[in-house]
Amino acid sequence: MNTNSNTYTVVYSAIIVIVVAAILAFAAMSLNDRQVANMKAETIGQILTAAKIPSGESNAEIIATYKDQIAEAYTVDLKGAKVNELPAEDATIYTTSDLKAQNYNIADGVSAELPVYVFKNGTKVVPIYGAGLWGPVWGYVAITPDGKIAGATFDHASETPGLGGKIKDDPSFAAQFDGKAFDFSDAAPFAIVKGGAPAGKANAIDAITGATMTSKGLDVAINNWVKAYAPVLAGASSDCCKGEGKCCGCCAEGGCQEGNCCMDSEETNTEE
Amino acid sequence: MANLKETFLTPIFKGNPITVLVLGICSSLAVTVELKGAFVMALSVIAVTGLSSLVVSILRNTIPNRVRIIVQLVVVAMMVILVDQFLKAFAYGIDKQLSVYIGLIITNCIVMGRIEAFALGNKPLASLVDGLANGLGYGMILIIVAFFRELFGSGTLFGFPVLKAIGYTNNGLMILPPMALILLGCVIWVQRSIQKDLQEK
Repeated sequence: MNTNSNTYTVVYSAIIVIVVAAILAFAAMSLNDRQVANMKAETIGQILTAAKIPSGESNAEIIATYKDQIAEAYTVDLKGAKVNELPAEDATIYTTSDLKAQNYNIADGVSAELPVYVFKNGTKVVPIYGAGLWGPVWGYVAITPDGKIAGATFDHASETPGLGGKIKDDPSFAAQFDGKAFDFSDAAPFAIVKGGAPAGKANAIDAITGATMTSKGLDVAINNWVKAYAPVLAGASSDCCKGEGKCCGCCAEGGCQEGNCCMDSEETNTEE
Repeated sequence: MANLKETFLTPIFKGNPITVLVLGICSSLAVTVELKGAFVMALSVIAVTGLSSLVVSILRNTIPNRVRIIVQLVVVAMMVILVDQFLKAFAYGIDKQLSVYIGLIITNCIVMGRIEAFALGNKPLASLVDGLANGLGYGMILIIVAFFRELFGSGTLFGFPVLKAIGYTNNGLMILPPMALILLGCVIWVQRSIQKDLQEK
Protein backbone atom coordinates (compact mmCIF):
# COMPACT_ATOMS: atom_id res chain seq x y z
CA MET A 1 0.00 0.00 0.00
CA ASN A 2 1.18 3.49 -0.78
CA THR A 3 1.64 5.03 2.66
CA ASN A 4 2.37 8.44 1.17
CA SER A 5 -0.93 9.04 -0.60
CA ASN A 6 -3.13 11.86 0.66
CA THR A 7 -6.10 9.63 1.45
CA TYR A 8 -3.95 7.23 3.46
CA THR A 9 -2.34 10.09 5.40
CA VAL A 10 -5.67 11.66 6.33
CA VAL A 11 -7.36 8.37 7.25
CA TYR A 12 -4.32 7.21 9.23
CA SER A 13 -4.11 10.46 11.19
CA ALA A 14 -7.82 10.35 11.97
CA ILE A 15 -7.63 6.76 13.20
CA ILE A 16 -4.58 7.44 15.37
CA VAL A 17 -6.19 10.44 16.99
CA ILE A 18 -9.45 8.60 17.69
CA VAL A 19 -7.64 5.57 19.13
CA VAL A 20 -5.46 7.73 21.37
CA ALA A 21 -8.45 9.76 22.51
CA ALA A 22 -10.32 6.57 23.35
CA ILE A 23 -7.40 5.18 25.37
CA LEU A 24 -7.00 8.44 27.30
CA ALA A 25 -10.73 8.77 27.95
CA PHE A 26 -10.84 5.21 29.22
CA ALA A 27 -7.83 5.78 31.49
CA ALA A 28 -9.24 9.02 32.84
CA MET A 29 -12.63 7.49 33.57
CA SER A 30 -11.37 4.30 35.14
CA LEU A 31 -8.82 6.08 37.34
CA ASN A 32 -11.05 9.00 38.28
CA ASP A 33 -12.50 7.50 41.46
CA ARG A 34 -9.08 6.74 42.87
CA GLN A 35 -7.78 10.18 41.95
CA VAL A 36 -10.68 11.98 43.58
CA ALA A 37 -10.34 9.83 46.70
CA ASN A 38 -6.63 10.62 46.86
CA MET A 39 -7.27 14.32 46.52
CA LYS A 40 -9.93 14.29 49.21
CA ALA A 41 -7.80 12.28 51.63
CA GLU A 42 -4.89 14.64 51.02
CA THR A 43 -6.98 17.70 51.84
CA ILE A 44 -8.42 16.08 54.95
CA GLY A 45 -4.89 15.06 55.91
CA GLN A 46 -3.83 18.69 55.65
CA ILE A 47 -6.76 19.82 57.79
CA LEU A 48 -5.86 17.24 60.44
CA THR A 49 -2.17 18.15 60.32
CA ALA A 50 -3.02 21.82 60.81
CA ALA A 51 -5.14 20.91 63.83
CA LYS A 52 -2.24 18.79 65.13
CA ILE A 53 -4.40 15.68 65.17
CA PRO A 54 -2.26 12.64 64.38
CA SER A 55 -3.63 10.58 61.51
CA GLY A 56 -2.30 7.58 59.66
CA GLU A 57 -0.68 7.46 56.25
CA SER A 58 -3.35 5.63 54.28
CA ASN A 59 -6.46 7.27 52.85
CA ALA A 60 -8.78 5.10 54.93
CA GLU A 61 -7.00 5.96 58.19
CA ILE A 62 -7.11 9.69 57.43
CA ILE A 63 -10.84 9.65 56.66
CA ALA A 64 -11.56 7.53 59.76
CA THR A 65 -9.59 9.92 62.00
CA TYR A 66 -11.46 12.87 60.55
CA LYS A 67 -14.86 11.32 61.12
CA ASP A 68 -13.82 10.38 64.63
CA GLN A 69 -12.48 13.80 65.62
CA ILE A 70 -14.74 16.28 63.86
CA ALA A 71 -17.37 17.99 66.00
CA GLU A 72 -19.07 19.96 63.26
CA ALA A 73 -18.25 21.44 59.89
CA TYR A 74 -20.23 24.24 58.33
CA THR A 75 -19.94 27.17 55.98
CA VAL A 76 -20.23 30.81 56.97
CA ASP A 77 -20.81 33.99 55.00
CA LEU A 78 -18.69 37.12 55.33
CA LYS A 79 -20.63 38.24 58.41
CA GLY A 80 -19.87 35.00 60.17
CA ALA A 81 -23.42 33.63 60.00
CA LYS A 82 -23.85 29.93 59.30
CA VAL A 83 -25.02 29.10 55.80
CA ASN A 84 -24.77 25.35 55.39
CA GLU A 85 -23.75 22.24 57.24
CA LEU A 86 -20.98 20.08 55.82
CA PRO A 87 -22.04 16.62 57.07
CA ALA A 88 -19.20 14.87 58.87
CA GLU A 89 -20.18 11.42 57.64
CA ASP A 90 -19.57 12.50 54.04
CA ALA A 91 -16.32 14.22 55.03
CA THR A 92 -17.24 17.04 52.66
CA ILE A 93 -14.27 19.20 51.77
CA TYR A 94 -13.56 22.15 49.56
CA THR A 95 -11.33 21.41 46.59
CA THR A 96 -8.81 23.97 45.41
CA SER A 97 -11.21 25.07 42.67
CA ASP A 98 -13.92 25.62 45.31
CA LEU A 99 -11.44 27.69 47.31
CA LYS A 100 -10.55 29.65 44.20
CA ALA A 101 -14.22 30.50 43.64
CA GLN A 102 -14.55 31.61 47.27
CA ASN A 103 -11.38 33.68 46.89
CA TYR A 104 -13.17 35.71 44.20
CA ASN A 105 -16.20 36.02 46.49
CA ILE A 106 -14.03 37.39 49.28
CA ALA A 107 -12.45 39.88 46.91
CA ASP A 108 -15.91 41.00 45.76
CA GLY A 109 -17.02 41.22 49.38
CA VAL A 110 -20.64 40.41 48.55
CA SER A 111 -21.43 36.80 49.30
CA ALA A 112 -19.29 33.87 50.21
CA GLU A 113 -19.61 30.41 51.66
CA LEU A 114 -16.48 29.75 53.63
CA PRO A 115 -15.90 26.37 55.27
CA VAL A 116 -15.08 26.05 58.97
CA TYR A 117 -14.06 22.71 60.47
CA VAL A 118 -14.54 22.47 64.23
CA PHE A 119 -12.89 19.54 66.00
CA LYS A 120 -13.90 17.95 69.27
CA ASN A 121 -11.04 19.62 71.14
CA GLY A 122 -12.49 23.01 70.15
CA THR A 123 -9.89 23.74 67.47
CA LYS A 124 -11.30 25.51 64.41
CA VAL A 125 -9.60 24.93 61.06
CA VAL A 126 -10.09 27.36 58.18
CA PRO A 127 -8.59 27.36 54.70
CA ILE A 128 -6.63 30.13 53.03
CA TYR A 129 -6.07 30.58 49.31
CA GLY A 130 -4.18 33.04 47.15
CA ALA A 131 -1.62 33.60 44.44
CA GLY A 132 2.00 32.57 44.87
CA LEU A 133 4.68 33.28 42.31
CA TRP A 134 3.90 30.70 39.60
CA GLY A 135 0.46 29.52 40.63
CA PRO A 136 -1.99 29.28 43.48
CA VAL A 137 -0.93 28.68 47.08
CA TRP A 138 -3.35 27.45 49.70
CA GLY A 139 -3.40 25.93 53.13
CA TYR A 140 -5.19 25.40 56.41
CA VAL A 141 -4.79 27.26 59.67
CA ALA A 142 -6.02 25.85 62.99
CA ILE A 143 -7.05 28.13 65.84
CA THR A 144 -7.50 26.90 69.40
CA PRO A 145 -10.46 28.08 71.52
CA ASP A 146 -8.23 30.62 73.27
CA GLY A 147 -7.35 32.31 69.97
CA LYS A 148 -3.86 30.89 69.48
CA ILE A 149 -2.77 29.30 66.21
CA ALA A 150 -2.49 25.58 66.84
CA GLY A 151 -0.80 24.84 63.55
CA ALA A 152 -0.81 25.43 59.83
CA THR A 153 -0.19 23.51 56.64
CA PHE A 154 0.42 24.94 53.22
CA ASP A 155 0.44 23.62 49.72
CA HIS A 156 1.12 25.02 46.27
CA ALA A 157 0.59 24.14 42.65
CA SER A 158 3.91 25.13 41.10
CA GLU A 159 6.22 27.10 43.37
CA THR A 160 9.97 26.59 42.84
CA PRO A 161 11.17 23.49 44.70
CA GLY A 162 13.74 24.42 47.32
CA LEU A 163 12.63 28.07 47.41
CA GLY A 164 8.91 28.87 47.40
CA GLY A 165 8.20 25.16 47.64
CA LYS A 166 9.42 25.32 51.23
CA ILE A 167 6.01 26.56 52.36
CA LYS A 168 5.03 22.92 51.94
CA ASP A 169 8.27 20.95 52.06
CA ASP A 170 10.09 22.64 54.94
CA PRO A 171 8.30 21.75 58.18
CA SER A 172 10.15 24.50 60.03
CA PHE A 173 8.29 27.14 58.02
CA ALA A 174 4.80 26.00 58.99
CA ALA A 175 6.04 25.31 62.53
CA GLN A 176 6.64 29.05 62.96
CA PHE A 177 2.88 29.51 63.11
CA ASP A 178 2.49 27.36 66.23
CA GLY A 179 1.53 29.48 69.22
CA LYS A 180 1.17 32.70 67.24
CA ALA A 181 -2.13 34.60 67.12
CA PHE A 182 -4.03 36.80 64.70
CA ASP A 183 -4.39 40.41 65.77
CA PHE A 184 -7.68 41.66 64.38
CA SER A 185 -7.11 45.18 65.66
CA ASP A 186 -4.25 45.45 63.16
CA ALA A 187 -4.86 46.37 59.50
CA ALA A 188 -3.12 43.11 58.63
CA PRO A 189 -4.00 40.42 61.17
CA PHE A 190 -0.84 38.50 60.32
CA ALA A 191 2.49 39.28 58.70
CA ILE A 192 5.17 37.23 56.97
CA VAL A 193 8.14 39.54 57.27
CA LYS A 194 11.01 39.68 54.82
CA GLY A 195 14.28 39.95 56.70
CA GLY A 196 12.86 38.38 59.82
CA ALA A 197 9.95 39.06 62.15
CA PRO A 198 10.61 41.34 65.11
CA ALA A 199 11.23 39.32 68.24
CA GLY A 200 8.23 38.90 70.50
CA LYS A 201 5.62 39.94 67.94
CA ALA A 202 2.78 37.50 68.27
CA ASN A 203 1.35 37.90 64.78
CA ALA A 204 4.45 37.80 62.57
CA ILE A 205 6.82 35.15 61.27
CA ASP A 206 9.95 35.08 59.10
CA ALA A 207 9.60 34.96 55.33
CA ILE A 208 11.50 32.39 53.27
CA THR A 209 14.92 33.36 51.99
CA GLY A 210 14.95 33.48 48.20
CA ALA A 211 11.18 33.23 47.94
CA THR A 212 10.05 36.83 48.34
CA MET A 213 7.12 36.57 45.96
CA THR A 214 5.81 33.31 47.41
CA SER A 215 6.09 34.69 50.93
CA LYS A 216 4.28 37.88 49.92
CA GLY A 217 1.58 35.91 48.13
CA LEU A 218 1.04 33.72 51.17
CA ASP A 219 0.95 36.81 53.39
CA VAL A 220 -1.79 38.34 51.22
CA ALA A 221 -3.68 35.04 51.07
CA ILE A 222 -3.62 34.62 54.85
CA ASN A 223 -4.69 38.19 55.52
CA ASN A 224 -7.50 38.19 52.95
CA TRP A 225 -8.98 34.99 54.23
CA VAL A 226 -8.43 35.56 57.91
CA LYS A 227 -10.09 38.95 57.62
CA ALA A 228 -13.03 37.27 55.89
CA TYR A 229 -13.17 34.84 58.79
CA ALA A 230 -12.77 37.59 61.39
CA PRO A 231 -16.34 37.25 62.78
CA VAL A 232 -15.76 33.56 63.39
CA LEU A 233 -12.16 33.65 64.54
CA ALA A 234 -12.26 36.84 66.57
CA GLY A 235 -15.13 35.23 68.45
CA ALA A 236 -12.84 32.39 69.34
CA SER A 237 -10.27 34.76 70.75
CA SER A 238 -10.16 35.53 74.45
CA ASP A 239 -9.44 39.14 73.46
CA CYS A 240 -13.06 39.65 72.49
CA CYS A 241 -14.04 39.61 76.12
CA LYS A 242 -11.66 42.32 77.24
CA GLY A 243 -11.88 42.52 81.01
CA GLU A 244 -15.19 40.74 81.06
CA GLY A 245 -13.88 37.32 81.83
CA LYS A 246 -13.27 34.45 79.51
CA CYS A 247 -14.97 33.56 76.33
CA CYS A 248 -17.02 30.43 76.79
CA GLY A 249 -17.23 29.27 73.22
CA CYS A 250 -20.65 30.78 72.71
CA CYS A 251 -18.86 33.78 71.25
CA ALA A 252 -18.41 31.74 68.11
CA GLU A 253 -22.09 31.97 67.25
CA GLY A 254 -22.78 35.60 67.92
CA GLY A 255 -19.35 37.19 67.62
CA CYS A 256 -18.07 39.59 70.24
CA GLN A 257 -21.33 40.73 71.74
CA GLU A 258 -22.46 41.42 75.22
CA GLY A 259 -23.59 38.39 77.09
CA ASN A 260 -21.24 36.09 75.23
CA CYS A 261 -18.58 36.37 77.87
CA CYS A 262 -18.59 34.41 81.05
CA MET A 263 -17.06 35.53 84.30
CA ASP A 264 -16.80 32.02 85.60
CA SER A 265 -13.73 30.35 84.17
CA GLU A 266 -15.22 26.93 84.89
CA GLU A 267 -17.83 27.42 82.25
CA THR A 268 -15.13 27.26 79.60
CA ASN A 269 -14.88 23.57 80.30
CA THR A 270 -18.56 22.80 80.21
CA GLU A 271 -18.50 22.97 76.44
CA GLU A 272 -17.03 19.50 76.30
CA MET B 1 21.89 -10.75 21.75
CA ALA B 2 25.27 -9.01 21.71
CA ASN B 3 23.62 -6.38 19.59
CA LEU B 4 20.85 -5.78 22.14
CA LYS B 5 23.45 -5.51 24.87
CA GLU B 6 25.26 -2.83 22.95
CA THR B 7 21.98 -1.03 22.24
CA PHE B 8 21.41 -1.04 25.96
CA LEU B 9 24.89 0.01 27.11
CA THR B 10 25.68 2.72 24.56
CA PRO B 11 23.16 5.33 25.81
CA ILE B 12 24.21 4.79 29.40
CA PHE B 13 27.78 5.93 28.94
CA LYS B 14 29.33 6.16 25.46
CA GLY B 15 26.32 7.81 23.86
CA ASN B 16 24.64 9.32 26.91
CA PRO B 17 21.72 11.50 25.79
CA ILE B 18 22.62 14.38 28.10
CA THR B 19 26.40 14.44 28.17
CA VAL B 20 27.13 13.32 24.62
CA LEU B 21 24.04 14.11 22.56
CA VAL B 22 23.26 17.15 24.77
CA LEU B 23 19.50 16.49 24.67
CA GLY B 24 17.06 17.06 27.51
CA ILE B 25 19.05 19.86 29.06
CA CYS B 26 16.03 22.00 30.02
CA SER B 27 14.40 19.41 32.22
CA SER B 28 17.72 18.40 33.75
CA LEU B 29 18.07 22.01 34.93
CA ALA B 30 14.53 22.13 36.27
CA VAL B 31 14.13 18.91 38.26
CA THR B 32 17.57 18.51 39.83
CA VAL B 33 17.04 20.73 42.87
CA GLU B 34 16.08 17.72 44.97
CA LEU B 35 17.02 14.06 44.66
CA LYS B 36 13.50 12.76 45.19
CA GLY B 37 12.09 14.75 42.28
CA ALA B 38 14.99 13.79 40.06
CA PHE B 39 14.46 10.15 40.93
CA VAL B 40 10.77 10.04 40.05
CA MET B 41 11.37 12.16 36.96
CA ALA B 42 13.99 9.63 35.86
CA LEU B 43 11.55 6.74 36.36
CA SER B 44 8.81 8.57 34.45
CA VAL B 45 11.11 9.39 31.55
CA ILE B 46 12.32 5.78 31.41
CA ALA B 47 8.69 4.63 31.17
CA VAL B 48 7.81 7.20 28.51
CA THR B 49 10.89 6.71 26.31
CA GLY B 50 10.62 2.94 26.53
CA LEU B 51 6.90 2.66 25.84
CA SER B 52 6.67 5.32 23.12
CA SER B 53 9.68 3.87 21.30
CA LEU B 54 7.99 0.49 21.45
CA VAL B 55 4.66 1.77 20.15
CA VAL B 56 6.18 3.84 17.36
CA SER B 57 8.39 0.93 16.36
CA ILE B 58 5.35 -1.36 16.10
CA LEU B 59 3.63 1.25 13.92
CA ARG B 60 6.75 2.20 12.00
CA ASN B 61 5.84 0.58 8.66
CA THR B 62 2.38 2.10 8.61
CA ILE B 63 3.19 5.70 9.55
CA PRO B 64 2.87 8.09 6.56
CA ASN B 65 6.20 9.82 6.16
CA ARG B 66 4.81 13.34 5.85
CA VAL B 67 2.99 13.32 9.18
CA ARG B 68 5.37 11.11 11.12
CA ILE B 69 6.46 13.82 13.57
CA ILE B 70 2.85 14.55 14.51
CA VAL B 71 2.06 10.87 14.89
CA GLN B 72 5.11 10.45 17.15
CA LEU B 73 4.05 13.48 19.15
CA VAL B 74 0.56 12.08 19.65
CA VAL B 75 1.98 8.77 20.88
CA VAL B 76 4.42 10.50 23.24
CA ALA B 77 1.74 12.83 24.56
CA MET B 78 -0.54 9.89 25.19
CA MET B 79 2.17 8.07 27.17
CA VAL B 80 2.93 11.16 29.23
CA ILE B 81 -0.71 11.70 30.10
CA LEU B 82 -1.07 8.02 30.99
CA VAL B 83 1.97 8.21 33.28
CA ASP B 84 0.50 11.32 34.89
CA GLN B 85 -2.90 9.70 35.37
CA PHE B 86 -1.41 6.56 36.87
CA LEU B 87 0.78 8.53 39.25
CA LYS B 88 -2.26 10.57 40.30
CA ALA B 89 -4.18 7.41 41.06
CA PHE B 90 -1.47 5.28 42.63
CA ALA B 91 1.32 7.62 43.80
CA TYR B 92 -0.52 10.82 44.49
CA GLY B 93 2.09 12.45 46.71
CA ILE B 94 4.83 12.00 44.14
CA ASP B 95 2.65 13.26 41.33
CA LYS B 96 1.95 16.43 43.28
CA GLN B 97 5.67 17.05 43.62
CA LEU B 98 6.31 16.59 39.93
CA SER B 99 3.07 17.86 38.44
CA VAL B 100 4.58 20.47 36.14
CA TYR B 101 7.58 18.43 35.15
CA ILE B 102 5.60 15.34 34.17
CA GLY B 103 3.90 17.44 31.48
CA LEU B 104 7.29 18.66 30.38
CA ILE B 105 8.40 15.14 29.45
CA ILE B 106 6.56 15.75 26.16
CA THR B 107 9.04 18.48 25.34
CA ASN B 108 12.01 16.33 26.33
CA CYS B 109 14.13 16.06 23.18
CA ILE B 110 15.36 12.62 24.17
CA VAL B 111 11.96 11.04 23.64
CA MET B 112 11.38 12.47 20.17
CA GLY B 113 15.06 12.19 19.31
CA ARG B 114 15.25 8.48 20.00
CA ILE B 115 12.00 7.81 18.16
CA GLU B 116 13.24 9.66 15.06
CA ALA B 117 16.75 8.23 15.21
CA PHE B 118 16.10 4.70 16.34
CA ALA B 119 12.53 3.45 16.73
CA LEU B 120 11.48 4.37 13.18
CA GLY B 121 14.12 2.08 11.72
CA ASN B 122 14.35 -0.81 14.17
CA LYS B 123 12.37 -3.76 15.45
CA PRO B 124 10.10 -3.30 18.52
CA LEU B 125 12.29 -5.18 21.01
CA ALA B 126 15.45 -3.28 20.09
CA SER B 127 13.51 -0.01 20.19
CA LEU B 128 12.13 -0.79 23.63
CA VAL B 129 15.64 -1.51 24.91
CA ASP B 130 16.98 1.63 23.28
CA GLY B 131 14.21 3.74 24.81
CA LEU B 132 14.66 2.30 28.28
CA ALA B 133 18.44 2.67 28.13
CA ASN B 134 18.22 6.28 27.02
CA GLY B 135 15.83 7.02 29.86
CA LEU B 136 18.27 5.32 32.19
CA GLY B 137 21.23 7.30 30.87
CA TYR B 138 19.21 10.49 31.30
CA GLY B 139 18.12 9.54 34.80
CA MET B 140 21.66 8.71 35.85
CA ILE B 141 22.96 12.18 34.99
CA LEU B 142 19.87 13.71 36.62
CA ILE B 143 20.61 11.92 39.87
CA ILE B 144 24.32 12.84 39.81
CA VAL B 145 23.51 16.52 39.34
CA ALA B 146 20.64 16.43 41.86
CA PHE B 147 22.91 14.77 44.41
CA PHE B 148 25.36 17.69 44.39
CA ARG B 149 22.68 20.35 44.14
CA GLU B 150 20.63 19.04 47.05
CA LEU B 151 23.70 18.26 49.16
CA PHE B 152 25.32 21.69 48.81
CA GLY B 153 22.18 23.75 48.14
CA SER B 154 19.95 22.49 50.93
CA GLY B 155 22.39 20.41 52.99
CA THR B 156 20.11 17.41 52.71
CA LEU B 157 19.88 14.12 50.78
CA PHE B 158 16.40 12.81 49.97
CA GLY B 159 15.21 15.39 52.50
CA PHE B 160 17.35 14.12 55.38
CA PRO B 161 19.68 16.75 56.86
CA VAL B 162 23.28 15.69 56.21
CA LEU B 163 25.53 18.73 56.30
CA LYS B 164 23.78 20.69 59.05
CA ALA B 165 25.65 18.78 61.75
CA ILE B 166 29.05 20.05 60.61
CA GLY B 167 27.89 23.65 60.46
CA TYR B 168 27.55 23.98 56.69
CA THR B 169 25.78 27.07 55.38
CA ASN B 170 23.54 26.35 52.41
CA ASN B 171 24.77 27.71 49.10
CA GLY B 172 21.80 29.45 47.47
CA LEU B 173 23.48 29.41 44.05
CA MET B 174 23.27 25.61 43.99
CA ILE B 175 19.47 25.80 44.00
CA LEU B 176 19.29 28.15 41.02
CA PRO B 177 19.30 26.78 37.46
CA PRO B 178 22.69 28.27 36.39
CA MET B 179 24.47 26.00 38.84
CA ALA B 180 22.84 22.97 37.24
CA LEU B 181 24.36 24.05 33.93
CA ILE B 182 27.79 24.44 35.53
CA LEU B 183 27.51 21.05 37.24
CA LEU B 184 26.39 19.49 33.97
CA GLY B 185 29.47 21.02 32.35
CA CYS B 186 31.61 19.40 35.01
CA VAL B 187 29.97 16.01 34.39
CA ILE B 188 30.64 16.36 30.65
CA TRP B 189 34.22 17.36 31.41
CA VAL B 190 34.75 14.26 33.56
CA GLN B 191 33.24 12.02 30.90
CA ARG B 192 35.36 13.51 28.12
CA SER B 193 38.55 13.11 30.09
CA ILE B 194 37.72 9.42 30.57
CA GLN B 195 36.45 8.85 27.04
CA LYS B 196 39.21 10.32 24.87
CA ASP B 197 37.52 9.74 21.50
CA LEU B 198 34.94 12.45 22.33
CA GLN B 199 37.62 15.14 22.55
CA GLU B 200 37.88 17.48 19.60
CA LYS B 201 41.36 17.75 18.11
